[in-house]
Parts: sequence; C-alpha cells; structure tokens
Amino acid sequence: MLEHVYWIPLIPLFTSVVILFGGKEGKDSKMPYLGIAAMAWCFLQSSVIFFQTLTGRIPLLEGKEYFLYERIPWLSWGPNLKVHLGVLIDGPAATLLFVVTLVSLLVQIYSLGYMYDDKRKKRYYAFLSFFTAAMLGLVVSSSLLILFAAWELVGVSSYLLIGFWFEKPGPAYAAKKAFITTKLGDCGFYFGLLLLFSYTGTFDLVMLKSHVAQGLLPLEAATAIGIGFLIGAIGKSAQMPLFIWLPDAMEGPTPVSALIHAATMVVAGIYLVARVYFIYTSAPLALGAVAWVGLFTAFLAATMAVTAYDIKKVLAYSTISQLGYMMLGLGVYGYTSALFHLTTHAFFKALLFLGAGSVIHSVHTNDMREMGGLIKRMPATATTMGIATLTIAGMPLLSGWWSKEAVLHAAYSHNWGMWLLGVLTAGLTSFYMCRLFFLTFIGEPRDPHKHQHAHESPATMTGPLWVLAMLSLFAGGLLHYNGLFEHLVHFEVVGHGEHAGGSHAPAFLLPGAAIFVFLLGLGFAYRLYAGSLKTAQGLRDRFEWAADTLERRYYFDDFFLWLVSLSDKLAAACFWIDSRVVDAIFVDGWALVVRAVAAASDFFDDYFVDGAVDGMGTLTQDAGWGLRKLVRGQVQEYLLYVSLAVAVFATFLISR
Amino acid sequence: MSLSHYLVVSAALFLIGLFGALTRRNTIGILMSIELIFNAANLNLVAFNRYLHFDALHGNVITLFVMGIAAAEAVVGLALLMAIYRNLNTIYAEDFNLLKG
Amino acid sequence: MELLSTITFLPLLGGLVILCVPKEKVGLIRGLAIFTTAATFAASLFLLGGFDPNLVGESIPKLQYVEQLNWIPSLGVHYFMGVDGLSVPIILLTTLLSFLAAIYSIGIETRVKEFFFWYLLLEVGMIGVFCAMDLFLFYLFWELTLVPMYFLIGVWGGPKKEFAAIKFFLFTLFGSVFMLLGILALYFASTPHTFNMLELMQANGSWSRSFQIVVFIAFYLGLAVKIPAFPFHTWLPLAHVEAPTPVSVILAGVLLKMGVYGLIRISYSILPAGYEWFLPYLIIIAFINIVYGALCAMAQTDMKKMVAYSSVNHMGYCLLGLAAVSTTGFNGAIFQMITHGIITGALFLLVGVLYDRAHTRDITAFGGLGAKLPVYSGIMALTCFASLGLPGLAGFVGEFMCFLGAFAYWKFWTTLSVAGILITAAFFLRMMQKVFLGPFNEKWKDLPEINLRELIAVGPLAVLTVLFGVWPQLILGLTDPTVKMISNMYEHMFQLVR
Repeated sequence: MLEHVYWIPLIPLFTSVVILFGGKEGKDSKMPYLGIAAMAWCFLQSSVIFFQTLTGRIPLLEGKEYFLYERIPWLSWGPNLKVHLGVLIDGPAATLLFVVTLVSLLVQIYSLGYMYDDKRKKRYYAFLSFFTAAMLGLVVSSSLLILFAAWELVGVSSYLLIGFWFEKPGPAYAAKKAFITTKLGDCGFYFGLLLLFSYTGTFDLVMLKSHVAQGLLPLEAATAIGIGFLIGAIGKSAQMPLFIWLPDAMEGPTPVSALIHAATMVVAGIYLVARVYFIYTSAPLALGAVAWVGLFTAFLAATMAVTAYDIKKVLAYSTISQLGYMMLGLGVYGYTSALFHLTTHAFFKALLFLGAGSVIHSVHTNDMREMGGLIKRMPATATTMGIATLTIAGMPLLSGWWSKEAVLHAAYSHNWGMWLLGVLTAGLTSFYMCRLFFLTFIGEPRDPHKHQHAHESPATMTGPLWVLAMLSLFAGGLLHYNGLFEHLVHFEVVGHGEHAGGSHAPAFLLPGAAIFVFLLGLGFAYRLYAGSLKTAQGLRDRFEWAADTLERRYYFDDFFLWLVSLSDKLAAACFWIDSRVVDAIFVDGWALVVRAVAAASDFFDDYFVDGAVDGMGTLTQDAGWGLRKLVRGQVQEYLLYVSLAVAVFATFLISR
Repeated sequence: MSLSHYLVVSAALFLIGLFGALTRRNTIGILMSIELIFNAANLNLVAFNRYLHFDALHGNVITLFVMGIAAAEAVVGLALLMAIYRNLNTIYAEDFNLLKG
Repeated sequence: MELLSTITFLPLLGGLVILCVPKEKVGLIRGLAIFTTAATFAASLFLLGGFDPNLVGESIPKLQYVEQLNWIPSLGVHYFMGVDGLSVPIILLTTLLSFLAAIYSIGIETRVKEFFFWYLLLEVGMIGVFCAMDLFLFYLFWELTLVPMYFLIGVWGGPKKEFAAIKFFLFTLFGSVFMLLGILALYFASTPHTFNMLELMQANGSWSRSFQIVVFIAFYLGLAVKIPAFPFHTWLPLAHVEAPTPVSVILAGVLLKMGVYGLIRISYSILPAGYEWFLPYLIIIAFINIVYGALCAMAQTDMKKMVAYSSVNHMGYCLLGLAAVSTTGFNGAIFQMITHGIITGALFLLVGVLYDRAHTRDITAFGGLGAKLPVYSGIMALTCFASLGLPGLAGFVGEFMCFLGAFAYWKFWTTLSVAGILITAAFFLRMMQKVFLGPFNEKWKDLPEINLRELIAVGPLAVLTVLFGVWPQLILGLTDPTVKMISNMYEHMFQLVR
C-alpha cells in the first residue's frame, strides 16, 4: 500500500480529467459516481497507510524520520541542479492523507444531495476531484517546488469552486478576491523559495533538512526564509492580515466551503510551516512571528465571529480563529499539538459546514435571524451540529478538547501571556459557537414561513454528518490514547529544553481554566440567544461602535480595498506615463523633432542651396543683358576692334 | 632695291586696304579694300621668298593660292551681297545690323 | 538541398507559387499557404529528429546541420547556416506558430493573395534569423522580416493601421541602423575581417573593454527595440492592437524572440565585456519591464492591448534570466521565450476569436460569457492561468527559472520583481471576471461558440501549454547542454555574478 502512495494524488487527477471531458453534462450525469468511487479508493488506501503507520505496523525507515521517500527527476539542468517529483511520507503526511481523503469522500457523497439539481454537476465533480488531487499532491510531495505547484493548483481549484455559480456577481468577485489575496501571500512564499535555493541549491525536503542540520543556512537567511514562508501561509491559511478572502469565499457551494475552506486547503499553510519546521526551529525570530500571528488571528477572528449573523460567516471566522490556534501551536514549539488540532478541527469544522449546508439547503437563507427552532424540523442535523458545537467549544473529553488543550499547554510552557489570550479566545469560541447553535436550532422560529418549509436533508447528506459526528466525539480521545498521535507526529527540537521560558502550571490550572471559560461562554450564549434576542439587541445598540468595527472586520477589508484602488491608480499613472511621456515625448516627440529638422532643412534647401544654383543662372543672364549692349551689328566696327587688337598685340610683340 | 622697299610698299598697300575696309560705306568697296590687303600680304610673301630663301618656292606658291582664294572669296562675297541686296535693298554696310544685340 | 536551407526557403517557394496563382482562386491560395507552412513545420520536425542536443562544443558552440558557402568572397561574406540547442526550439516555435496562424488566416477576406505572399516571406525572414551564423546574412534576414510586417500591419490592420505600420517600421529600423554599425565595427575590428559569428566569438579576447561596450550599445539598441525593453516598447501595444490577429500572433510569438535570441547569440557571446558592463542596467530594465509592463496592462480596457502589455511584462522575465548569466537564468529565458510564444500566441488568437464575433475588445462591454461560450471560456481561462504563471502549465517553469537564476546575484531587484507576478494575476483575473463571470450580458445572446477552424488553430497551443507545464524537460533537454556550454564560455569574466 505505502509504496504505491503516488497513486493517491494521481487517481483523482485522472478522474477529474475523465469527468471533465467524458460523459454528459446535466442533472442526471453519472459522472459524480465515478468521482466518488475514485475517492473511495483513495480513502481506503490512505486509511490503511494511516492506521498502519499509526499503530507502528509500518516502521520508520532506519535512522530516518519518515516512512517512505521515493522520487524521480522532473527537471534537471545546469551543473547538477534538479527538481524531483517525489513522495515523502512521514507522520504528518500520513495523517493529512487520511484527513483529506476522508473529508473529500464525505463531501463528494454529501454533494450528491446538496447539488442534486445543479445543471453543471459534472463540472462540479471534476473540479472537486481536481482539488483533491492537488491537495494530496501538496501533502505527499517531497519537494518544496512541487509543493508550491500544488499549492497554486489548490488555489486555482478554490478559485474555480468559489466561483462555481459564476453567473452571480458575488461568487465571481469572491473567487477573484480569494485568488489574488492568497497570491499576495504566495509572493512571500516565492521569495522564500528563491532565497532557500540560492543558499542550498535544492528544494528537496530531506536534503534541505540535512543541509540545515549541517548549518548551511545562516541565521538571517533562515529567518528571512521563515518569514517568507509565513507570509505564504498567512495568505493560504487566512491569517492576519490576509484573512479577508475567507469570509467572502463562503459565496461558494457549502460543501466546497467544508472541504476547501475549512478542512483541507486552508490548513495547507499550517502544513507548510510544519514541513519546513526545521527551518523555523533554527530561526527563533521567524518562529516567534508564527506564534504571534497565530495568536492575534485566533483572538481577533473570534471577536469578529461574535457579531456575525450569516451562519457561514460565523463558521468562516471560526475557521480563521482555529487556524490561528494551529499557528500558535507551531509557534510555541507545540508541533504535535498543532497538527493534532489540525486533524480534529478538520472533522468538526467539516461537520459544522456540512451541517450549516444542510440548514441552508432546507431554509434557503444564510441569515440566522431568519432561523430558530429548527431542531424540531431537522433533528439529525441539529444533533450532529450540537455535537460539533460542543466539540469546538471545548467540552471536555471530546476531540476538540484534547487538541486545544495540547496547544494551550504548549503556549503556557512557552509564555503564559500567550496562554491567557488563548484561553480568552477559547471562551469566545465557546460563546459564538453556542450562539450559532441557539440562534439556529433553539428558541422560537423567527421566520414561520421558512420554518414551515424546512425539512430534514436526505440520507446522502445526513450520512456524512453522522460519520463526522462520531469522529468529532471520539477521534481526539482515541488518537490521544497512549500517545498514539504523538508517537506518529513529533518533532525533536534540539536544545528546546532551555526554550521553555514559561513555568509549569499546577495540574488543575490549565484544564480548570479551559472548563471554566467553556461554561462561561455557554452560559452567556444561552442567556443572550436561547430565548428572545432583546438583551442581545440591547447590548448591540449600546456598543454599536464596537459591533461596527467587528462587522467591518477591523477595517482590514477597507485597507486592502484602498490598496487595490491605490494600485489601480498606480496602474493608471503608469499607463499615463507610458502613453503621454514615454511614447508621446520620447517616441512621437522624437518623430516631431525629426520632422521639425526636416522642415528646417527643406527651408535651407529651398532658399540657400537651390537659391545659389538659381542665382548663378540669374547672374549669367543679367550679365548677358548688359553685354549685349556692346554688340551693335556693324561689321566694320568688329573689324576695327580686330585691327586695334592686332595692332596692340603687334606692338607688344615687337616692343618686347 | 632692298627688301625694305618692298616691305614699305606692302605696308602702305595694307594700310590703304585697311583704311578702305574700315571707312567705305559701300560693301563692294570694302571687298575691294580687302583685295588690297590680300595683295599686301602677297607682296610680302614674294619679297621674303626672294630675299630670304632664294632657292625655295613656298612663298610664291602660297601667293598663288592666296590669289586663287581671293578670287573665290570675291565670288562668294559678291553672291552674298546680291542676296542681301535683294532682301534689304541696300549695299551699305551700316545697314547690315541683323546681329545687333 | 540541405535541411536548414529547405526549411528557410520553403515558404519563399510557396510564396512564389502563390504569386503565379490568379487572385480570384482564394481557396487555392489559402490551401497552398497552409500546405507550405505545414510542410515547413514538418521539415523542422525532421530537424528536431536529427538534432543531437548533447553534441556541444568546448569553448564555442558546436553547430549542427552546418551549411557554409562562399557568397561574396571579396568581403568575406559566407552563406553560413547552422543550429544548436539555442536555436532549434525557437525554429520549431516559429514554424509551428506560422502554421497555426496560417490556419487562422483563413478568416482574412481581403487581398488574400498578397496577404499570404507577405506572410510566407515573413516566415522566411524569421527562420533565417535563427539559422544564420554569419552576421551579414543575419542582418539580411533581420531586415527581411521588416517589410512584410509593414505591409501586413499597414494593409490588413485596424483603424489606425497606417500609423501603426509606419511607427513599427521606423522604430525597428532606428534600432537596426545601430546594429548595422555594430556589425561593421565587428567586421573591421577582426583580423582577418570576418562576419562569421563563431570566429568573432573567438576574436573578442583581443578587443578592448571600451570598444566592446560601444559595440554592445549599438547592438543593444537594435535588439532592445525588438524585445521590447523599456523604454523602446511603445511600438508594441500600438502594432499589436492594429495588426490582424494572425500577424499579432507572429509578432508576439516570434518577432520579440529575435531580440532575446540576439542578446544571447551576439551580445553575450561576442561581446562579453560589454555584456558584463551592462548587467546592472539590464536587471533594472528587467524590473521595469516586469512591474511597469504589468501595471500598464492593468490599466487597459482593450483586451488586445492588455495582452500586448503583458508581453512587455513577460519579456521582462526573459531579461531577468539573461541578467543572471547562469545556466539557470539562460535556460529560464529560453524556456520563457518558447512558452511565451505559445501562450501569448494562443491569447491573441482567442482575443481575435472574440473580436471577430463581437467587433469589440472592450473588457467592460461583455459579462457572463462563461455560461454562453463554455469551450471558449475554458480555453481562455487555461491560457490566462498559464500566462499568469500557474504551476502545471507552461508559463511557470520558465518564469520561475528566470527568477531563480537572477536571484542568485540580483537579490534586491529580483525580489521587487516578484510583485509583477501578483499584478499579472490581478489583471488577468479581473479581465476574466468582467468578461466571463457575473451576470450574462443579454446583448451577446447570439454570440456563436468558437468554430472548428479557430479550435484547430488554438487547440495545439493549449495542449502544448499543458504538456510543457507537466513535462518541461522536453524543452530543457534540448537547450540545457548548449546553455551549459554558453554560460560557461566566459566563466572568468562573470565571476562577480556567480
């Protein structure tokens, strides 16, 4: 199984090509089943690999930190410079393989129900398969350049899928915004790659690691590369300040949001940082930046989620916030905890999105103010959503609890201030998630008409929900059990013992605080949103400025819009210069100068050169007119002249 | 009789001819004066031949040529004169001013 | 007859035959032209088949398919043709684009006979430039491309065609004159006097640095206009916008490459000291081309003009690669040349397809075409993504290698140039959003889908875009041995950059 791991990305790739070019488009297209079958195979293969590696059935290669490392040359040029197409399977890669294929499979099944009457179903499944292929390629690649390629390709599939309903202006705009914003981050990634290559001459992760271990990478370079990669990760994983694209990306079909913008693509940034963690550990400044970016993102996104009424936007902010947690985990040397959180988050966040999709599918609105009391209409959705809400909110012993605790623990042992903000964020998370749940499912129906027509979703949609709900309940505990996950995914930081600046907390403090904020958030949410919304509305009116700031996302959007308009102005200015200065002055102006010179020389030619020629003629003529007076036509006169001349000459000759 | 005597006579002849050619109004007179100039030259040639190159004949021969040419020239001149007279009805040289500038 | 001469003069033969056909027989003329270009392309495939990329010289390029005849013995001018890994891919690109654009040219309705005659003559000049290894011959072919281009733009172009044609002609001629001076300077500086490029490459050791710099500038003026490098680029948007679609394709796909080719073949190989002196300026010009070209493209509302400015941007990547003076950079520059020819050629064809139908190229005039023209939109999207450098498509590899090469030494300017990637993405995506996405503009409800002729012209380019993106070694394998040799030719002079 493991040695054929390269089939895992290739199968969806071929499938997507087949789906795109084969079969008939339309509601009744059979192509989706092909996609699901291919995905099921990939899932099977990935889960076998995952469980075998997890349980130690497949051992690490001798003396190495990975299970498989195979590659073939893709590009080779110059003095032995090569880029390889290769697979590098280590703990995180095996985990991600499992997560990605699982969520992809579930989302594809779910989409059967969600997209059942879409007229471009075939294209949708082709794009989904293509996305999965690119994401899996990103996961397994042994080369950073190929990882970058896959990184861009998931970006494109995200663009295509966000803009899937491109006839509407919203998705069309959101797709572009997502692509360009992440591209802005990619410039940092690009820079990091260039700098990395200029020092090491390779993109191969294994070789890079040994180069770094040998100290080939100076501290400044490692820091710059780390910051560059971090900028890339900020774009892709929607961290501060480039998170602005993710809430807008919710314009896409909800299953897409679940797959791409919650569980898989957005964690690519986290995965990138994890893959090159050896660079970060050698550059503390870059790692610190990772931690602070993650922490602030987690906190600010959580506050933004508090005021949002669009169910998917709340989830989007929550995703940003949770991604911030992962970043924080990585930044405080909690490598394992971050990837652990990534895994559990994939399950419960996908569940939340799919649940939200089920709700939207049923009531045809995103606005939570028009929902309420749906638990009676959609029991399965409500139950699974409830499980997911508790999981993300940090209910003890559920999946989210274990991973979040691990992150916060790592933060505490690094810097207790970070921990404090992290715990605060956890409280906020508990609050806004419970708020979402209460607004949607509990209380009185606020829009009776919509409530009337609400209905439970078909089994193709609730099935995946239940699977994910089970995983949300138990996966964390199971993986945590016996340190299984830690065994699979860990990173030895050389000399990190001294880094642990923070103190060891009393055993009860960390879990205690977490449970406390969880209950606090739950309680507040219940008080404010379970019944009438009057109190909540009152609070909102009282702190309107705060609500406004939050709803405008701390003006980050405005900042970037300003940046866009600035670049538009810059572009217009450049074009003005090009057409009015460079072209008009240096080219056409030059032509004008030449023409002026030509006119001048024409003048000179006419009046001086040609004038001289004509003047010669006129002079001769005038002289002629004068001389002709001498000629009188008298023969004897001529003879006289001749005689006189002869006489004179004769005299001259004789007298000489 | 020395060469000088001949030359003096020849010069006198030449001057008389020249004077006639310059002053006569009648074109026939001018032609006749020109004949005098020819003859002055002829006399010169004969005299030089006689005194300077006694054995040679060049001078005498050229004189004969000149006389022949003079005769021919008189014929052409008179014919031209006839043509002019028919056109202009005059033989006075001052009336022949077709080439006047 | 030898293969290179066959490839070069086959189009001329076709052109002469076309001249003998009565102009009313339009179908026959088109058929002849397409047949000729197809045959030329087939012949160039033979060239590829017999070409051994690993056969390279030690210190000067080892040519293959060499033909050398005395032409003007009193001046030492030879008919000297030959190819190496630098020229073979470009020759293939030329013949392929000529073939595909000829198919697209079936759409030309007026004065068909003259069109194809000039078109084929143009192909002769283009192929000749890349084969000629004698500067005199090179210059002859170089100028030979000018006249047909002048007529092709001036007769079959858009509303301002005459102005565009004259501007193109004069601008290019302005550069060529300096190049001629440069050629003469080289001729008289070499002993014995020669136009032979290979001999000149060996002779440069005896020339002073200042002489090389002066001659380099003369050549650069000629080449920069063709590339086009800032600030000699302003003929390009105008000429592109006014030229008929197939001519735009040739212009962007091949003519611009003559400049970059010349920079490697002549400026670098014959005048290394001048090249070395120019490097700091070259990198800045590359940066300006990339960022400024992209910004100018962003300001456009005319699709064709946008693509034209994107060419300025993309040729900036080539310059970036050239400034690297390394195997990576040179390989990247050549790769970028090839892929730019393919991608931008396809883009011009596609814009032409839309223009033929809608008679406007205004980006804001459309909207939501994606629903109406799925095939067309799909190919357009693929091409746009390729052009903005999406990995997996052809545009990425060349661009990345150019950056990689240049970054080794020119860290500051290369880093700034990375912004160009972002701007490129921005204007292509904005164009796609306005034209293909969003609500459908009912005004275009009768717009027909791309037809077979256009699909045949564009299809191969789209396939190649994917092929070269997935398997770039196809091109690199051809160029790399030669480039390795070329970039090590003057190792001692470019120590600084290494």
